[in-house]
Amino acid sequence: MTEAVIEAQDVSIALGGHPVHRGLSLTVARGEVVALIGGSGSGKSVLLREIIGLMKPQGGCIKLFGQSVWDSTPEQMSRLRRRFGVLFQDGALFSSLSVEDNVATPLFEHTVLPRVTCRQLARLKLAMVGLPPDAARKRPSELSGGMRKRVALARALALDPELLFLDEPTSGLDPISARAFDALIRLLANSLGLTVFLVTHDLDTLFSIIDRVIVLSDSRVLGSGTVAELRHIDDPWLREYFAARPTKGETVHGN
Amino acid sequence: MTAAHALYDETQGTLVASGIWRADSIGALPDLAGKHVRVIDGAGVTELDTNGAWLLLAAARPKASDPMPELRSFQPRHLAMLQLVAPHCAVTATKPKPPREGMLELAGRGTLVVWGHVFGLVNFIGHLFLELVALSAYPGRWRWRELGAQVNAVFVGAIPIVAGMLFLLGVVFAYLLGSQAQQYGANIFVVDGLLLAILREISPVIVAVLVAGRTGAAITAQIGTMKVTEEIDAITTLGLSPLAVLVIPRVIALLLALPLLVFIGDIAGILGGMVVTQEQLDISSHMFMDRMVDVMDLKTLLVGLSKAPVFAIFIALIACRMGLSVTRDARSVGANTTSTVVQSLVAIIILNAIFAVMFVRLEI
Repeated sequence: MTEAVIEAQDVSIALGGHPVHRGLSLTVARGEVVALIGGSGSGKSVLLREIIGLMKPQGGCIKLFGQSVWDSTPEQMSRLRRRFGVLFQDGALFSSLSVEDNVATPLFEHTVLPRVTCRQLARLKLAMVGLPPDAARKRPSELSGGMRKRVALARALALDPELLFLDEPTSGLDPISARAFDALIRLLANSLGLTVFLVTHDLDTLFSIIDRVIVLSDSRVLGSGTVAELRHIDDPWLREYFAARPTKGETVHGN
Repeated sequence: MTAAHALYDETQGTLVASGIWRADSIGALPDLAGKHVRVIDGAGVTELDTNGAWLLLAAARPKASDPMPELRSFQPRHLAMLQLVAPHCAVTATKPKPPREGMLELAGRGTLVVWGHVFGLVNFIGHLFLELVALSAYPGRWRWRELGAQVNAVFVGAIPIVAGMLFLLGVVFAYLLGSQAQQYGANIFVVDGLLLAILREISPVIVAVLVAGRTGAAITAQIGTMKVTEEIDAITTLGLSPLAVLVIPRVIALLLALPLLVFIGDIAGILGGMVVTQEQLDISSHMFMDRMVDVMDLKTLLVGLSKAPVFAIFIALIACRMGLSVTRDARSVGANTTSTVVQSLVAIIILNAIFAVMFVRLEI
C-alpha cells in the first residue's frame, strides 16, 4: 500500500443546525487522480475547504502527508501549504496583478530567488499549461475564462506541489476547452507525479482522466471506486447521475 | 536538508549538480556567463522539480542560443523532468523588462486621462439628456421607489455628519474671528462675519465636499460592483435603461438633498457660532438673534443655497459615469472610486471660483 496523502477520519460538521458531514472518512494515496462527486448541497465544497484548512470541522481528524491540518502550529501549516496547490472555481486570480505576477506571487513569498528569476519561472509555468508568451503581461480581466483557469492552474503549480486540489476545474468552460483542460491535468499529473483531488460535476471528466471516484451522499461517503464499480451501487441519486451516460463501450456510435 | 549546489569543472566543461533542487532550497547559483558547459552531471541530485530543472538548465546555458549540454548520470525521473522543461527554455530565457516611461510620455498620458474625463462627462450629459427627454413622454417609467430609497440614503443618513461638522466649523470660525474682533471692541460684528462666511461659502462648499466623499464614492462603488457582477448587462437585456433605472434617480436625489443639507449646515454653523459668541464675547443668544435679523439678507442665504444644486448635479454625474465605466475587475472599482472623489472635489472648487467671480460681476 502506498503512502496516504489525504486522510480524513470521522469528520463531522453542521452548518446552520443542518448536519453536512457525519463521521465521514476517506483516504487518497500518492499518485492517484481522485474525483469527489455528489449532488448539490452534499457538502463537496465544504469538505474541500476543510481539507485545505479554510474551514474547521467540528469533529474528527484530517491529515495531509500524515500531518494533522487542524492541530498544527502556524509554522508547520505554512510548510504544509507549500506542498499543495489549490485551483479555485473561478480562478481567484488577483485582479490588480499581471498574469505573470499572479503566478510568480508564491515564488516571491516562499523563495529567496531574485524577482526576475521568479518571473522567468512563472513564464515556464505559463508555457507548461499551454498559454502563449504574450499572455504573461496581460491582466486577468483581459483573458477568456479558459485562459484564466489555466493561469490559476499555473499559479497552483508555481511551487511544484505534490498535491493539487481542483474545485470544479471544467465548470464554465465550453466542451472543447473543458476536454483540453482535462487532458492537461492528466498530462501534468503523469509527468510531475502529482496527486490530484478534484471536485466535479462533469461526467466527461470522470470518464476520461479519473483513477477513482468518491461519492458523497447523506453526509457520508456512499462509495468509492472506478466508474464501472460505482455503477453496481444501488442508490437512486447515483443511478440517475449515470443514466445520463451509457456504459463504456456503448459510447462509440456507428456514425 | 541539503541545499542545491552546482560546481563547474573548467577542464572538463562539466557542471556537477547535487542536493535538493527545489525552488525553496535554491539560493545563489554560479555565474557561468561566457563559459561553455558540455556536460551536466546529476549523480548527486536527490530531488528535482520543474523549478529546479529550469534553474539548472538556465545556469548551464546563460544564453538561449547555447547548445544543450549532455545530461549524464541523472536518475530517470529527474531526466524526465529536465526533458519536460527543456523545450520551454527558449521562450522563458529572455529576461522580462518593464518598458520605461519618460517625463514626456507621462505628461502625455496625464493629458489624455484629463481630456478623457472631460469628453466622457460631456458625452454622458448628452446621453442622460436624451434619456430624460424619452422618459418625459412616459411618466409611468419614473422610478419613484428608487428615488425614495436614494433620498433616504443621501439625505437622511447624512444629516448627523453635516450638522456635526458645520457646528464645529461655526465654533472654530466664530472663535478665531472673535479673538480678532475683541481687540478692536467690534464684538457684535462677529455675527455679521459669521453669517456671511457660513451661509455664502463654508456651508455650501463643505457640505458638497462631504457629500462627494460620502455619497459620490458610494454611488461609484455600487454601480461599479454591479457592472463587475454583470447586473448592468442584465438591466440592459431586460429592455430597461441603466440610465433611467440607476442614474436619473441618483441625480434627482442628490439634486433634492444637497440644498436641504446645505440649509441644515447653515443652521448648525450659526448655532455653533452662537455658542462661542455667548461664552467668549458675552453676546447673549438674544442679542445674536437681534443682530442676525438686522444684518442678514435673504440674498446671502439664497446665494449659498443656489450653488448647492449645481454642485449636486456635478457630483452625481461624475459618480455615476465613473461607476458605469468600471471594467470587470476589483482593481478598477477602487481606482474609479478614488477618481470620483478627486474629480468631484476639483469640480466643486472650480465651480465655486466661477460662482464667486460671477456674483461679483453681477453685483449680487
